[in-house]
Amino acid sequence: MSVNADVPDAAPSRLPHMADSPAIDAIGVTFTYPGQSRPAVDRVSLRVEIGERLGILGPNGGGKSTLLKLVLGLLRPDSGSISILGQTARSARESGVVGYVPQRIEAQLSFPISARQAASMPVARAVPPWRPLAQEARARVDRSLELVGASSFADHPVGSLSGGQLQRIMIARAIACGPRVLLLDEPTVGIDVAGQQRFSDMLKGLHESLGLAIVIVSHDIRAIAAGCDRVACLNRTLHSHTAPQGLTPQVLAEVFSHDLRGAFGDVHVDAHAASDCHDPSHHHHEHAHPTEPPA
Amino acid sequence: MKTIRYLTDPALAPVFWPIVLAAVAIALTCALLSPIVVTRRLAFVGQGVSHAAFGGVGLAYALGITGVGGTLASELSLLGVVLAFCLIAALVMARLGRDRAGDADTAIGVVLVAAMAVGFLLLQVAGERAVALGRPKPPSVEAVLFGSLTSIGPVDAAIAGAVLAVVLVAAWLWRRPAVFWAFDEPAAEAFGLRVHLIRDGVMLLLALSIVTTMRLAGVILATAMLVLPGAIALRLSRRLGPVMVLSVGAGLVGTLAGLVLSFEQGLQTGPSIVGVLIVLLVGSALSARLSHGRALAAAGPGAPTTPRETNA
Repeated sequence: MSVNADVPDAAPSRLPHMADSPAIDAIGVTFTYPGQSRPAVDRVSLRVEIGERLGILGPNGGGKSTLLKLVLGLLRPDSGSISILGQTARSARESGVVGYVPQRIEAQLSFPISARQAASMPVARAVPPWRPLAQEARARVDRSLELVGASSFADHPVGSLSGGQLQRIMIARAIACGPRVLLLDEPTVGIDVAGQQRFSDMLKGLHESLGLAIVIVSHDIRAIAAGCDRVACLNRTLHSHTAPQGLTPQVLAEVFSHDLRGAFGDVHVDAHAASDCHDPSHHHHEHAHPTEPPA
Repeated sequence: MKTIRYLTDPALAPVFWPIVLAAVAIALTCALLSPIVVTRRLAFVGQGVSHAAFGGVGLAYALGITGVGGTLASELSLLGVVLAFCLIAALVMARLGRDRAGDADTAIGVVLVAAMAVGFLLLQVAGERAVALGRPKPPSVEAVLFGSLTSIGPVDAAIAGAVLAVVLVAAWLWRRPAVFWAFDEPAAEAFGLRVHLIRDGVMLLLALSIVTTMRLAGVILATAMLVLPGAIALRLSRRLGPVMVLSVGAGLVGTLAGLVLSFEQGLQTGPSIVGVLIVLLVGSALSARLSHGRALAAAGPGAPTTPRETNA
């Protein structure tokens, strides 16, 4: 099923010459982990235009992380195809067209580096060892830190940052490479409600100033409702797609395989309840994402 | 001071200088790798690899490769067998532990005891065969476990220096990808780094350093030299440059002070070095706590108790 059937007005492209290739074009993508009988992602078609913001909502084990890995070219689809701005997923990742913001949980926060050093790592990785980081690259990192509002704590050790601050550093790290597509994996895990608001404001600002295509993958409606042009629901297959206003209990029930009407008086007020809903046929190869208490 | 006599007496100096030089090279090698071992939580993996070295020593002696005679060729063939054994063990641990996070722990535990058992049995067999064939006897189990200074000669010092050079060059050439990997492996992979190559490279350097450390500190204490300097440095600083300098400093001070202690008091060298490093670790933990307390007092009442509680 294509999510593209009724795309609302996509944001205007900042790069007219690329306008004919969509930011992400996935057609009939199926992937099954070795040793599993059921595919983790089943015939998913997905089209994200340049400058568009898509939220992908789904339960844990619904294939969200798998889909991200496929888009990043870390996994190869069993069938179907994925292209990023006309390139293969892998070459897009390696050429820096795709920026990726992982769940912050996975970083070793005891590692003795400053926030700025953490943000410059992808920029620095291609620099030959005998050469220092170029002035231009440093400036790019500084500008990214500024865009995400992280300049004031850029020289603090990463281990001393709050969840929200760390999130900004991870985003600065992704945009420092100048990507056209930004992928965010569960960006709201461990961030409190106030931090949440700042996060979506910041993302909105980034979108306006850089014209990126943004894909947010989450089991948390708050992460998605706040700043997406469209929402797709993923539970192995892409179930439904709608503008954020269309996230009714019926739509959610369809994707979470539960009737959530009891839990959801109002989606926007009691959105937190969604994070407690799991697909009963939970796959163990998908990482569980425990919701941390607010920092 | 016995130490000064050992190093200046023309009869003793040729015996003791190689020991000191080898110890310095080993301390530097381990201290350079130590911050990565600590932050990537490789201490237990290191323990597994160093215990595999015990199996490797058993295998080498059972094959008649004794390293005795002190020539470069005989030393290198002994080290080669032990290194190969360590690398195979590291590979097995990585393969067994890859699929699920909890399995890594079990895999290391299993490889560790298996290598110890095999090593012990092979040393026993080698000992009996050595007596029957009139070959040089294998080292005592205690010497392999805790290290023995008498086994360190000029060739060992040269090999330790070569390993140090390899680690230095590798650390400098691959410092950027290695730091990215150490900080955030999944992101490093997503940004196009070949993380399995970095991981294998780090395991190779670890195995190399453990094989050379074995003579000095023994199989059991080799990991201490890989863990303690980094642990000390990370108590004292959260910046990469200072952490590397402090780690190297702690490794050198611990090793040299341990050597002097063992020369003066006639104590076993490996445990002496570890003892000094433990004292340094306790000292660094206390000083970190004190300076944290002072920072809190300076910030005044109502200051957050940990830096993490300050929100954006």
